Amino acid sequence: MPSSDHVDPRRVVGVEAEIVTNVTSTDFPGHWPNEDHSWGIDKFKNTFRVEFHRNTPLFAEFDLIHMDASIANTFRRILLAEVPSLAIETVYVQTNTSIIQDEVLSHRLGLIPLVGDKKALINMQWFMKPASGDPPQDPTDDNTIVLHLSAACERIPGVSRSETDPHKLYTNASVYARDIVFDPAGKQVTTFANNPVRAANPNILIAKLRPGQEIDVTMHCVKGIGQDHAKFSPVATASYRLLPLIKILKPIRGKAAERFAACFPRGVVAFEADEETGEKRAVVGNARNDTVSREVLRHEEFKGCVELGRVRDHFIFQIESTGQFDADELFLSAVSVLKAKCTVLKRETHRMLKKQALDARSGSGNAGPKKGDRGWAAE
Amino acid sequence: MSDQREAYQPPNSGSGRSYAGPSAASGTMHYLCAECGVKVGINKGEPIRCKECGHRILYKQRTKRMVQFEAR
Ligand SMILES: [Zn+2]
Repeated sequence: MPSSDHVDPRRVVGVEAEIVTNVTSTDFPGHWPNEDHSWGIDKFKNTFRVEFHRNTPLFAEFDLIHMDASIANTFRRILLAEVPSLAIETVYVQTNTSIIQDEVLSHRLGLIPLVGDKKALINMQWFMKPASGDPPQDPTDDNTIVLHLSAACERIPGVSRSETDPHKLYTNASVYARDIVFDPAGKQVTTFANNPVRAANPNILIAKLRPGQEIDVTMHCVKGIGQDHAKFSPVATASYRLLPLIKILKPIRGKAAERFAACFPRGVVAFEADEETGEKRAVVGNARNDTVSREVLRHEEFKGCVELGRVRDHFIFQIESTGQFDADELFLSAVSVLKAKCTVLKRETHRMLKKQALDARSGSGNAGPKKGDRGWAAE
Repeated sequence: MSDQREAYQPPNSGSGRSYAGPSAASGTMHYLCAECGVKVGINKGEPIRCKECGHRILYKQRTKRMVQFEAR
């Protein structure tokens, strides 16, 4: 963690009472005279760092240090919209006499996060939706998971008349995500043998039933991406913030130190014994926990005592998984999605340049743009 | 105006099931009582009336046919 006093001022975004200063990065070629800011893979390898702070299956917090905002944001957006996951896509309603309408029930089912054997899920193929007019594609054990949900509500005989709890009065008074059953087809019997497809959280309430009501649905789950529908997004959220920076310019001692600490979240400001007076003196504790609320800048007594900022190329990345994949795995998937996109871009750029070169050669002697080749500008 | 009007032809039962009538086997249709919720079997010609509570409003049951939805 960078000590508050030793951060290159070029890397600091200033947060003042009414203005945020030094917002844009300047580490690109041509900005600073006689300095080399060209991008190179070796330079990046030497400076870039990743520090993990928390890593659990459902939540990961790690720092990406010395990375450009555009790349950090790319990873965030890919996590949200382009890392694939499995979700319920089609609902076949045999019967639904509950008060939840078929459409609403289907929508609710679609949003339930699913878990299952990770390897088998990754190996699943895409189910291509046929274009309108084309014959429907048959789902296979490669691309579709079949789930069933059936629950009927009835009175439980012999319950006391004074009973008011619907769960004691009726069977299936509430239908939960744990009532969904997996119906493996073909090779899914073996690939999902140890870890069947099921709801990530068994206690999600799907519908409430009363005697005589019944739900019987079959669901087809497919792989998809968040760009198509949010239910396919593998993250509950993925976000980043910049590392807060607090610079204490003048010593703040005694009672004032306590008032100073009260301007920040707990743990952000710590105390030390002052060498000169022996009083306690405010020092920066864990700046990471600061929310940069600027509360301290509202107090007259701390004017000129403190500078607030954020480190522009220090991203505190937080990924919350919905459960299908571990949070840290999701980040790696996002990296491979970006890699795949770069490969495509590189290939297409080569193809374009090759075509341009061939065109230039075949049309030699007529180097300028051809007549009528200038689009709207010619008209 | 034409002097020969087309004679009214009553729908002859048996040929072409254009409406969801009672199944030929039993001839009984089941409805739900609007008052007490009980399932009432009603044969052709019988009064529309709940056999439990006598209520005269009965609901048609939901189709058993499968309906497909997108989970969106
Ligand atoms: Zn009745």
